Amino acid sequence: MYSHFSEIMVEILNGPMLKNQPYLDPGSGSFILQILLAGLVGIGFAFRSYWGKLLGFFRKDSGEEASEEDSSADEE
Amino acid sequence: MKNNPKLPASFRDPSGFLFFEKKKLYRQVNQLYQENYDRLMKSGLYDHLVKSDKLIPHTEVRLAPPEPDKAYKVIQPEELGFISYPYEWSFSQLKDAALLTLEIQKRALKHGMSLKDSSAFNIQFRLEDARPVLIDTLSFEVYQEGSPWVAYRQYCQHFLAPLTLMAYNDVRLSQLLRVYIDGIPLDLASGLLPRRTRFNFGLLSHIHVHATAQKRYAAEDVRKVAQTRTMSKTSLLGLIDSLERTTEKLELDFSGTEWGEYYQDTNYTRKAVEHKKELVANYIDQANPKVVWDLGGNVGTFSRLASEKGIPTICFDVDTDAVEKTYREIKANKETNLLPLALDLTNPSPDIGWGNRERRSLLRRSTPDLIMALALVHHLSISNNVPLEMVAEYFSSLSPWLILEFIPKSDSQVQRLLATREDIFPNYTFAGMEEAFGRYYEIVAQEDIRESERRVYLMKRE
Repeated sequence: MYSHFSEIMVEILNGPMLKNQPYLDPGSGSFILQILLAGLVGIGFAFRSYWGKLLGFFRKDSGEEASEEDSSADEE
Repeated sequence: MKNNPKLPASFRDPSGFLFFEKKKLYRQVNQLYQENYDRLMKSGLYDHLVKSDKLIPHTEVRLAPPEPDKAYKVIQPEELGFISYPYEWSFSQLKDAALLTLEIQKRALKHGMSLKDSSAFNIQFRLEDARPVLIDTLSFEVYQEGSPWVAYRQYCQHFLAPLTLMAYNDVRLSQLLRVYIDGIPLDLASGLLPRRTRFNFGLLSHIHVHATAQKRYAAEDVRKVAQTRTMSKTSLLGLIDSLERTTEKLELDFSGTEWGEYYQDTNYTRKAVEHKKELVANYIDQANPKVVWDLGGNVGTFSRLASEKGIPTICFDVDTDAVEKTYREIKANKETNLLPLALDLTNPSPDIGWGNRERRSLLRRSTPDLIMALALVHHLSISNNVPLEMVAEYFSSLSPWLILEFIPKSDSQVQRLLATREDIFPNYTFAGMEEAFGRYYEIVAQEDIRESERRVYLMKRE
């Protein structure tokens, strides 16, 4: 009874990854790499988005608006 | 033997499969996929992608599904003019397919969805405008906040690795995609790439470190990691952004100017080119085809005689630089009805994959009404020793109509080919060619090209 309970808890805790039962093998290495990169790429991306939005704010007077789609792209 | 209408390539995804009924293509959507399908249709994602020409549209139909116990719905996707495979694409075609995949993923996340695979075979190029489009409607799943991207590995193998190899090593390495049907293994790519790729953060992470991580964690049970570490949506967007910028920066070492000079270098005067164009255009009208294949079409100079008449035309060439140049021109000038693809006629794409039936050889996919073989046959018969009769037989199996330009031995181009070898081609003459082709075709018309040694023929299969 208790072992069933802990098995269920493991399944619940695994929630985000197993709910959609991916038919593709994402690969353990690929999975772990993403977790490792997450912090790095997340910070970089957030920085670029806010920087882009900031620039967009200043460009509004010249008639250009930073569109929602471009917020993730480099303002080059 | 049961007549299985399911497409041989459509078996890996339990969400559904493609099948034919009365020669029309349908897709069974399984109950397993119901939540995802409904979300796709109701969230606005489907509408946005179809409106922006990024996803193939479909209609829901009342049709008896082949597997009714599993079925949720049957849909009918819009059919494409031609199916091509990633190993037939030029660098920019593969790159555009890659960037489209990432764009779609970003858009999906805005609607609470995510791509569950990112195979290059999910992208096709439309004949209408040579633009890439996603054809796998069932590729989307509801996004679970916290999950990493399940298709990350596939993106790196199908797109990033081959593009990087083409950019840094040799453009011909796209052919590795023929051998590695699920994309190029990252350890192979990592080993082949030059050291300077390690100084690029994106390539370092997504190829080199990724390859190491794959090896290092191959036997690992990641569920323990999944319990404690998750990936926020911002991080996921950051990952996609990183892949996008890394992919976007990849450029081919390509001048593209050599092919522009092609007609200056060879044996055509201005009058000759004009006359050849007149003749070919006239013969196209006589054949009145629905689809044209220009074999050895180079940069599409003569393919355009058909495509500009509104006839869907595929320009095949063995030289990927020519395919690349044609593709860039089509994009820049927003041309229609022309699609360039890479093809080595002496070794065309074979049947590959499971049971050698998953990805079909060129002939099995579709065939045209008219093929053009202009300034081509000498490459096959002389350079490649294929007897004229075999060329005729092969062409006749492809299409009922043929426009052929024959270049005799007296022409300096052919003399150049024969310069370093023994002339073992006694039948390579006008008469010899007419006799060989006459076994499969009727010669409907022929005319010499003004100011040249060459002759153009219009032939109809008997």
